Amino acid sequence: MRMTVLLFVLLVMDSGTDTRAADGDFARDIRPLLSDACYNCHGPDAKAREGDIRLDDRKAAQDSKVLTSGEMLRRLTSNDPDVRMPPPDSTRMLRPADRAKLVQWLKAGAAWPEDDRHWAFVPPQRPTIPEVQQRKWLRNGIDHFVLSRLERAGRSPSPEADRVALLRRVTFDLTGLPPTLGELDVFLADSSPNAYENAVDRLLNLPAYGEHMALDWMEASRYADTDGYQNDRLRYMWVWRDWLIRSLNDNKSFDRFVIEQMAGDLLPDRNFHTQVATGFNRNHRINSEGGSIPDEWIVEYVADRVETMGTMFLGLTMTCSRCHDHKYDPIEQKDFYRLFAFFNNIAEAGLGPNNGNSPPFIKVPKSWPDLSAGETKFVVPDPPRIKIQQVSVPRPQSGGTDTVMVLHELQKPRDTYLLQRGQYDRPEKSELLRPATPPVLGAWDENWPRNRLGLARWLTSPTHPLTARVTINRIWQHYFGMGLVKTSENFGVQGELPSHPALLDWLATEFIRSGWNVKAMHRLIVTSATYRQSSVAPPVTPESDVENRLLGRGPRKRLSPYEIRDASLLTAGLLVGRMGGPSVKPYMPPGIWRSISNARYKQDKGDKLYRRSLYTYWRRTVPPPSMMIFNAAARETCIVRTDQTTTPLQALTLMNNVAFVEAARMLAERMMKQEGSLSPRSRVAWGFRLVTSREPNAGELDLLLSDLSAYQQEFRRQSKKARALLAIGEMECDPTLNTIDLAAYALVANTLLNLDESITQN
Amino acid sequence: MDTLNEFRSRQTRRAFLGRSTLGLGAIALSSLAHADERPRNAIGGLTGLPHFAPKAKRVIYLFQSGGPAQMDLFDYKPHLAERFGEEVPKSVYPDERKTTMTSGQKSFPVAPSTMKFARHGQSGIWLSEPQRHLAEMIDDVCVIKSMHTEAINHDPAATLFQTGSVIAGRPSMGSWVGYGLGSENANLPAFVALTSNGTAKAGQPLYDRLWGAGFLPGRFQGVKFRGQGDPILDLYNPAGVTREQRRRMLDSLSRLNNQQSDRFNDPAIATRIAQYELAFRMQMSVPELIDVQNESKSVLNMYGPQAGQVGTYAYNCLLARRLAERGVRFIQLYHRGWDAHGNTPKQISAQCRDTDQPTAALLRDLKQRGMLDDTLVVWGGEFGRTIYCQGKLTNKIYGRDHHPNCFSYWMAGGGVRGGMTYGETDDYSVNVTENPVHVHDLQATIMHQLGIDHERLTYRYQGRDYRLSDVHGEVVKDILI
Repeated sequence: MRMTVLLFVLLVMDSGTDTRAADGDFARDIRPLLSDACYNCHGPDAKAREGDIRLDDRKAAQDSKVLTSGEMLRRLTSNDPDVRMPPPDSTRMLRPADRAKLVQWLKAGAAWPEDDRHWAFVPPQRPTIPEVQQRKWLRNGIDHFVLSRLERAGRSPSPEADRVALLRRVTFDLTGLPPTLGELDVFLADSSPNAYENAVDRLLNLPAYGEHMALDWMEASRYADTDGYQNDRLRYMWVWRDWLIRSLNDNKSFDRFVIEQMAGDLLPDRNFHTQVATGFNRNHRINSEGGSIPDEWIVEYVADRVETMGTMFLGLTMTCSRCHDHKYDPIEQKDFYRLFAFFNNIAEAGLGPNNGNSPPFIKVPKSWPDLSAGETKFVVPDPPRIKIQQVSVPRPQSGGTDTVMVLHELQKPRDTYLLQRGQYDRPEKSELLRPATPPVLGAWDENWPRNRLGLARWLTSPTHPLTARVTINRIWQHYFGMGLVKTSENFGVQGELPSHPALLDWLATEFIRSGWNVKAMHRLIVTSATYRQSSVAPPVTPESDVENRLLGRGPRKRLSPYEIRDASLLTAGLLVGRMGGPSVKPYMPPGIWRSISNARYKQDKGDKLYRRSLYTYWRRTVPPPSMMIFNAAARETCIVRTDQTTTPLQALTLMNNVAFVEAARMLAERMMKQEGSLSPRSRVAWGFRLVTSREPNAGELDLLLSDLSAYQQEFRRQSKKARALLAIGEMECDPTLNTIDLAAYALVANTLLNLDESITQN
Repeated sequence: MDTLNEFRSRQTRRAFLGRSTLGLGAIALSSLAHADERPRNAIGGLTGLPHFAPKAKRVIYLFQSGGPAQMDLFDYKPHLAERFGEEVPKSVYPDERKTTMTSGQKSFPVAPSTMKFARHGQSGIWLSEPQRHLAEMIDDVCVIKSMHTEAINHDPAATLFQTGSVIAGRPSMGSWVGYGLGSENANLPAFVALTSNGTAKAGQPLYDRLWGAGFLPGRFQGVKFRGQGDPILDLYNPAGVTREQRRRMLDSLSRLNNQQSDRFNDPAIATRIAQYELAFRMQMSVPELIDVQNESKSVLNMYGPQAGQVGTYAYNCLLARRLAERGVRFIQLYHRGWDAHGNTPKQISAQCRDTDQPTAALLRDLKQRGMLDDTLVVWGGEFGRTIYCQGKLTNKIYGRDHHPNCFSYWMAGGGVRGGMTYGETDDYSVNVTENPVHVHDLQATIMHQLGIDHERLTYRYQGRDYRLSDVHGEVVKDILI
């Protein structure tokens, strides 16, 4: 096992043309070890620094002479616990192989290149496209980089996936839904050379594209329908979600998309829509708990904005610098509070209003989203009006269902100071901090205003080292289940190095060059030969690339919780495609809210039970269990990567949950009503294909048919049981169908919906 | 058909062969695809853990949500009766860090407890009257009077206790334990959460994050046993579907999935097959587990009249013992209703009516079965309450606001010394004067009893090695055997 991991590390970290020349060795091999083992006490955090030795800064390290005097070598090789580093009683660990690497480096003269900036802080340069052998395989620029890497490892790409798998894969990836049988048939019948590209273009233009792509952004933006603390009061932010879906479907350029969300209230051409966009920075949790101290919570909201921006655009863990200088990255605590200053000017209240939107909010016209020309004007929100309740609890006015929360600047900004240990009541008042960005992350153009608009322009500047890389990496993760930088939330020194650095930079520069054209980037990826490979892996051996970091095969990943439910609704013929609007309350377990809170869940009826999952009501302290069981992000803080563990609770959900049982019996109805296919065999085959997109083989059909007849016999003996099964869910059965047969088909459909294949993209 | 049946039985066997260690939290071959996974032992614990021989095999944490009033339960201050109605001196209780529910009060008068206190057991520990059942077990209990925290509101305070941070997103204590130690029972989760409401007042809400896995892999999250509907979400087959039918369906599913596995060579498929089999076994093991009616009459009587009533604190205490017997590692109860802002004496008495007898019964039951020695029982809430009165003060009625600077906890069994008190508070029960125990110290101590060095059980997230006790915490060695 250990061996596998080792081999694998070597495999992925292989150097060559795909890393930055010779200087790369320090950044790639040495600094990660120094960072991990030493920076805790000898890194950027001045307060934690021991013996006045720092190993994160070239000049300081060289001036201290420890690298060349033999001191560090002695510390690394000594067996005396008082001398040895890292100290044996500390929690820092250095594996023997890594220790040997450091020793080797010191003995060889401790080469430390002058430009030792961490790779991610150097703006991406457009790399030359590498030459490769198997030119026939190539489809676009991506493939050059991937193939070059594979060839260097002595490997070949996988053959193209079969057409069924391919259409299913790309349809899920672009719309979150499986292809319909009609779409499959059209595609399979289309023998033109551009059949696949045409299918991609069709999918990119479906409204479902925006709905599906909105989900990653909603999870990262911690979007929810409640406030998230204690009683978890209601809020109304769906208008922002509508804006999001529409912007994605309109293919708004990414720089504009970011600028509107960060500073849509400050734009010269601001309007109602750009104002709605700023709700992005109001999606954080808000505390309404009586007794809370307002100043304490305003600090939390502002910090949350900085941290969310850090994770989503910079791929950096700003949270660390809130309390102290960053332990690993060159972000000082002051840098955090200078960023903080950009967001510390919002006309907001510390406590929430206890139900409803917290100021600033604006009224949404009834005609939303089809606003008249007069209604698209920028609106000045009312300032917070604080009223004292319950002795001394200061609460603002509350915005009703027809409002949405936005950003709005205070007339006079709050003063920003560094907060010691990040605590609201420990400001370092000796120095007033002005809004500024960390110098290490690129220059500030003095033409930009020193406010959120300037900040947004800085983020989307073509020379910014991180925004394009971090964004394109998340897009890559959307398709391959893992980014080129695996730690998509962390591009800092402690983050993982990219598996394909040149590809990452090529994509990042391509993204900027395209005018931040998001759909173009999606199209580029899904039309690459890399993406179109089969996901069949060879049997696992020690040399296997289990994680597929070399991209020698196509992506294989479990569907997201949203996709799993939406796909079952679609195949059952239940999915209601209406877009946008307030969140809906589909089936939930009994007492789901009441059992641990003082609120009751009132389930919706009719169409609202069958809307796409991105519209499901999200209560932060009790999120929908069937979503959480399949690893949805909790929407409490910014999350850009979730795991995919497999548990028995997932099995129980898919087998027994009312939503999936109802879907199974409605799918059974469709199977039974299938015209022209009168034999049970063809009905089951039809259902199988509907769910998995492929034709079943004879053995599979035999098995399912023998189950079908067994179920029929059992239900015939106990018809009451058949009726009980068919009564699950609110959709009524077609009374013209034979109940025994329908119940038996429902169990077969239940089997189909539980197939690994049904909840997986091959 | 014969070949088909033969194939079926082979498939079933195949699925069962791999089952021995496939605990709920123990396996996820699919996470081979995630290199953050570290090597694991046969029961799904990290290799190298426990770090040293544990004193406790399991923990039952009886979380008293809302903030029990320490001076009405454990922290006896007889001399305060003379100070009834006097202002609490600002030197003792400064204005900062009073919640805004009372910070605007014109006056902060001393509200001495109206509870009668008495010494109990060989150890002579002081307890207030409503805890007469606990009094009988007090020689097994270590009362900590010197707990303290920073948080003054329920949500951050409870989140700090359960996850080591007021910031959402960190793993809960039970998740850490399951992550580190794995599961002793392949058919049950390593970490179970149970909730109940105060009968007088339901109380403060709880949040899924309190038993959430945070940034740990999702399979380590606490499984909540429910008081309504299926005991575990969607545990039971749909109406009309028999266990035989489910077996047939699973056999087919396993066969069809195996074909995919052979084709794609993705270990995730084998994991999924195994987890379906585990789900099937849970459908058997859980109903047997929650059926308390096969307990003897004397045991049911010991836990009190509500013991047979699903969803009550008494039932949950009994269930906790049954879970402990079956090897569940971390059992977390939450009982709501301690947030006594208004008529504190009345509410405290009501809470004790719900909880005192079952709590004591749990200790006695464990002891009788020889399980108390290796089961650590922890009792306490997210903070304490103010000595100054919230609202109107009379000689019978007073209210108390949240108080972080001192409050009481107790522990029993699992290598903790019984019949002792630890720590002291000042004359007003406002500040700790001796042996302070911070939330992180308590966490470090609980982990220590399980054989875990809290500084060494870490998980890398966002480039940093996180642990339950953040960057703090010291084991309270003085209370250990």
